[in-house]
Amino acid sequence: MNRRLAPWLAGAIALAVLPALAPNSFFLHVAILILMWTLLGAAWNVLGGFAGQVSFGHAALFGIGAYVTMILYLKAGLAPWWGIPVGGLAAALVSLPIGLVCFRLRGPYFSLATLAVAEIVKLVALNWETVTNGPVGFLITGLPPVSLFGASVDWESKLPFYAVAALLALAGLASTAWLRSSRLGAYLVAIRENEDAAEAVGIDTVRAKVLTLALSAFLAGMGGGFYAFYFRYIDPDAVLNISLSMEMVFIAMVGGLGTVGGPLVGAIFLTVVGESVRERFQVGHLIFYGLFMMLAIRYMPEGIWGRAQRLASRFLPKVPGHGAA
Amino acid sequence: METFAQSLTSGLLTGALYAMIGIGLTVVFGVMRIINLAHGEMVMLGMFGAFWGQALWKLDPFLSLLLWVPVMFVGGMLVYRLLLRKIIPGGELNTLLYTAGLSLLIANLALFAWTGDYRTINLSYGQEPVRPFGISIAVPLAVAFVVALAITASLWLFLSRTDLGRAIRATSQNGEAAILMGVDVERVAMITFGLGTALAGAAGVLLAPSLYLYPTVGELLIVKCFVIVVLGGLGSVPGAIAGGLLLGVVESLGAVYVSSTYKDGIGFVLFLIVLLYRPSGLFGVGK
Repeated sequence: MNRRLAPWLAGAIALAVLPALAPNSFFLHVAILILMWTLLGAAWNVLGGFAGQVSFGHAALFGIGAYVTMILYLKAGLAPWWGIPVGGLAAALVSLPIGLVCFRLRGPYFSLATLAVAEIVKLVALNWETVTNGPVGFLITGLPPVSLFGASVDWESKLPFYAVAALLALAGLASTAWLRSSRLGAYLVAIRENEDAAEAVGIDTVRAKVLTLALSAFLAGMGGGFYAFYFRYIDPDAVLNISLSMEMVFIAMVGGLGTVGGPLVGAIFLTVVGESVRERFQVGHLIFYGLFMMLAIRYMPEGIWGRAQRLASRFLPKVPGHGAA
Repeated sequence: METFAQSLTSGLLTGALYAMIGIGLTVVFGVMRIINLAHGEMVMLGMFGAFWGQALWKLDPFLSLLLWVPVMFVGGMLVYRLLLRKIIPGGELNTLLYTAGLSLLIANLALFAWTGDYRTINLSYGQEPVRPFGISIAVPLAVAFVVALAITASLWLFLSRTDLGRAIRATSQNGEAAILMGVDVERVAMITFGLGTALAGAAGVLLAPSLYLYPTVGELLIVKCFVIVVLGGLGSVPGAIAGGLLLGVVESLGAVYVSSTYKDGIGFVLFLIVLLYRPSGLFGVGK
């Protein structure tokens, strides 16, 4: 069997078996959160990890996806499972002008510009009340009845959401894997390591970065759509908050920048820390996110996944065609 | 005309305080080439310092500057020495992410300790605004303005007249040349970070009686602060002063003549435009 496909197959089987092993619905809820954050971490990672473009504005893309999915469902009756990819497309579309503007700037200047874009999007959502309902936000009261293989889907159970989240997370990881072995991925690494040199060898750096941002926005927008669908409630504070951007940064950073498996590891870490702290006090989880981010940059800048790979490569023999996963 | 004069005045008063926050960020950037995302949290700590000084020890908020400025100065130097110094060689993006983590940590520790309640500081004096030339000026803002001017002026003297100030400016212009001239760049960096933190804290103390206090106020302030320093050119002190005044005036006029709900947005749009067309700042000092 192809050694590249083996880990994916194992992952898919593990995801399919997991709900059967789940002792209760809280466990499944945590699994859904992990999968959602995996998708979001992967979304940030393609831009931040591979291309080295640190965005503090991904909350805006997430929020656009969430709002589009929600508005299409409530006002046009488009079911959320169609709305999620449409939300992703909308975020990708919005990301094009953002990219064309912000990518004229480099390094920290780019990061600051994305921060300003995110604040503008949030202000618009708060004040454009005819479309966004302003600070009140939207609430889904019921999901449409659906039957799958003759059985009707029970929206009160977590299982259907788990299935959607699993598919989305796999899509996020798969697009990272595709990017890593693609020509575009090679361009991005060149840009990250030395943008001037990349331009000098003839890479259209702006085009490569804008395309990557669109991919990243598509994934983040789908994450937002899923959030709206799962939590059934959105408002500017919930889906456009700057701390969402920081959580995506955290996942990619702690998991391992520019790796395929990093976002999954980061998402597990973030969710487990977040949920175990949340039980005790309301706001505590962000304290630990900040702390772990500082510790990771200081002591493990390659992230958990990156460190694990380095340790593994010391003990395992190199197999041709089986590069770092 | 009266509305114009009124909003211009309040814009300039707020702008002077913005400028002070901006100077703190810009001197740190100049010397160390790092953008301190936790700068807004330093302002927030200054604001809460003024609040607790009054609540616990009956300290006058403005007099508490004498306490909090030295505390913030030492605190900033410690943050540099113990935390940042090891990170800076890892590159500017690492430092940016690191200070983002620091900002999350400080803001949420504050949220945990002091809850998210909105607080205000009540002064026993200056309830009635003063009215020179028919323009009404709130007393706390006027006092803050005067003190901010005094602090900025003495900082200017310090930077231009003293040896240490010259060393800071030299490092900012060309770090390697400064080392060759015998400047202890490591020490200059530590002092500069302390100075930047102290300026942020002082601005926080001065702003506290005029604003609502809450632990996550730093988030909004830091974005405004970026607007200011980018307007003026990162690393330039006169640029930060001009940028701060400009932002204060634009916000204040925008609230009156464009839309009060999009007041904060006007600044950000200005920011994007300047970043695009004059990334080295309106007053072009370059990098």
